[in-house]
Amino acid sequence: MFDLIVRGGTVVDGSGQPGFAGDVAVKDGRIAAVGEVEGEARRVIDAAGRIVAPGFIDPHTHFDVQLLWDGAARPALEHGVTCVVPGNCSLSLAPIKADDRRRVVGMFQQIEEMPPEAFTTAFDWTWEDFAGYRAAIEDGLSINVAPLVGHSVIRLWVMGAAAQERAATADEITAMQDLLRECLAAGAVGLSTSFVDVDETGRPVPSRFAQFEELDALAAVLGEYGRMLQCVPEFYATDITIARIDQLAELSLKHGIPTTFSPLFDTSAVPDNAPRAIARVEEQFARGARVWPQMQTRPIDISFSLLRPSLFFARLPRWVRVLRQPLDQRLAALRDPDTVEKMVGDLGPDGGEAMMGRLIVRGGDAAPAGLVGKTLSEVARERGQVPARALIELSLENGLDVAFLSASQGHQSTDRIGPMLAHPLVHIGASDGGAHLASFSTYGDTGYLFSEFVRKAGAMSLEKAVAKITAETADIWGLKDRGRLAPGLAADIVVFDAKSIDRADELPAFDMPGDGMRYVRAARGVDTVLVNGEVAYADGGYTDSRSGVVCV
Amino acid sequence: MAEAVIVGAEMVAGHDGTVELLVRLRHPNGAEGPVVLDEETGLNLMAACGAASVEDLTGQSWRKIVEGVRCST
Amino acid sequence: MAELSRQRRFVTPGPDETLEQLALRALPDESPEAGADLIRSWNLHIFAMRRPPGLLLGSDVVFVEPPLG
Repeated sequence: MFDLIVRGGTVVDGSGQPGFAGDVAVKDGRIAAVGEVEGEARRVIDAAGRIVAPGFIDPHTHFDVQLLWDGAARPALEHGVTCVVPGNCSLSLAPIKADDRRRVVGMFQQIEEMPPEAFTTAFDWTWEDFAGYRAAIEDGLSINVAPLVGHSVIRLWVMGAAAQERAATADEITAMQDLLRECLAAGAVGLSTSFVDVDETGRPVPSRFAQFEELDALAAVLGEYGRMLQCVPEFYATDITIARIDQLAELSLKHGIPTTFSPLFDTSAVPDNAPRAIARVEEQFARGARVWPQMQTRPIDISFSLLRPSLFFARLPRWVRVLRQPLDQRLAALRDPDTVEKMVGDLGPDGGEAMMGRLIVRGGDAAPAGLVGKTLSEVARERGQVPARALIELSLENGLDVAFLSASQGHQSTDRIGPMLAHPLVHIGASDGGAHLASFSTYGDTGYLFSEFVRKAGAMSLEKAVAKITAETADIWGLKDRGRLAPGLAADIVVFDAKSIDRADELPAFDMPGDGMRYVRAARGVDTVLVNGEVAYADGGYTDSRSGVVCV
Repeated sequence: MAEAVIVGAEMVAGHDGTVELLVRLRHPNGAEGPVVLDEETGLNLMAACGAASVEDLTGQSWRKIVEGVRCST
Repeated sequence: MAELSRQRRFVTPGPDETLEQLALRALPDESPEAGADLIRSWNLHIFAMRRPPGLLLGSDVVFVEPPLG
């Protein structure tokens, strides 16, 4: 008797091989059989007309804090993600001494944009070491977690405030090595570092004060465990990215470790950026190094309001002049009919239809609910105005606190990005799940992979897409128990509709501690998600299952 | 002495959802390279150059970029 | 081991190394002031974006030549 059988679906097992009609049987949290399964089960899930695949793995997230009150990392799990990697970009929630919490919270808030209540009311901060953090999240997990430990917090533990001021001494580096060993033994799957992040005051985070020799010493410890080194490099600066690739390659070759950097963006402004970086990665792999570039599937949206000056208007001198003024003068200028007349006139005969018409009114701020999700063109028509005037007046009516979104302004060329995502050395990831909460949604990139790059563009087969975000990811990260539908492996399974899997529209949600706002995207086309053999999501809802584990 | 000059600038979508300014510099050896400035620094660069529009940055010295960041802090 | 294509040369700052000291190390034929000026112009990712301005970090990639033509 099996615990559960997923019957009659098309099994896409993560290997990249063509899908086949079959069943997947589960017993004791593990896959017991794949194929034509005979026998009975306590529960049968009908997967007729659906794809049955391994659960997706998201290798770049910042769910460290959210996992303390939300073990599903919502809405990641409903998108079919059964394993997340938090602790990226040099920051994790352990090891951190109690006296250093305030300092680290500032760094987290800078990256995650999480409300202060998330740190003061949402959980009891009882731990200092990595094992303590693991224990704090473990009981409540319904998603699997493969956590990185952050270089910045390791440095802070050993050096205190000096971690953000100077190079480490030899003794301090030895202490960091010992601490990293302790974290790896407690379940960390690697170390993250950052070359770009800053704290809430704009000061570089501690990892950036490290000499290469320090990183080399820590990589030596990763080599003892065969674990991952993750870094975030400078954006859009190809020469620097290549320098970082070479540094990672040196560490990979010397210590026999996998390394990954994220994100790698494509941009029309520097069209050779991603191709040159990938070419360097190919050269380094040919030497035996493992340097995996992570590329996200979703395009970059930008947003702005008139509360702050924005380069969105950088081709409109009068707008720049008006919006650069202090708030009271800016408001006065925007209320002055002559000034507004001239500003609108600057947009030309279409009144801004071409430049602004497709802007979308965002929610989550003072925008009237009835306008959220509408284009400025629609809003302007309803008001009997041209878009430029509608933007100004709508902003004025709401204290300037109305954000407008300009979708797909970067990393948006499907024709260019599709082949890169399909490249055997490009690691699909970099979702940043759980970060940038108040700026944009970081959820649903897997759905977008299928809707945009499999169905619409045909850049890769469905089987290849599944393999990229399951077995290949597990192999890159050394997650031996995950990523494939094969007997004996953990039963992380997603059942989805190949024709409709997608991400839904971005919407504001007020589900963070203290009614804090974040942008989210719900899943489309995902029927059922199993984590270690238990149904964690089905029929559009989360279950009470707590079958997630810290996986290594 | 010849020095690097700005030969173009355009808005790009920043990783964090803001608009950033990508400034292209041509160096005395004829090679070009980009510098990406955050929103505040980009606006300050425009102010430091007296630029009414990003197009007006063309021909300005690389030193103006450093002035831009000084204005930001 | 496979050959690597030529890429732009860089160094990383030593502990407490100043820009002038780094320039002297990387560009010994230039005066410290002229060398520092060249380094600045080749590394605006550091000198345009760093707070506080001029702070050199041990992890910085500092190019010691302009972009390759």
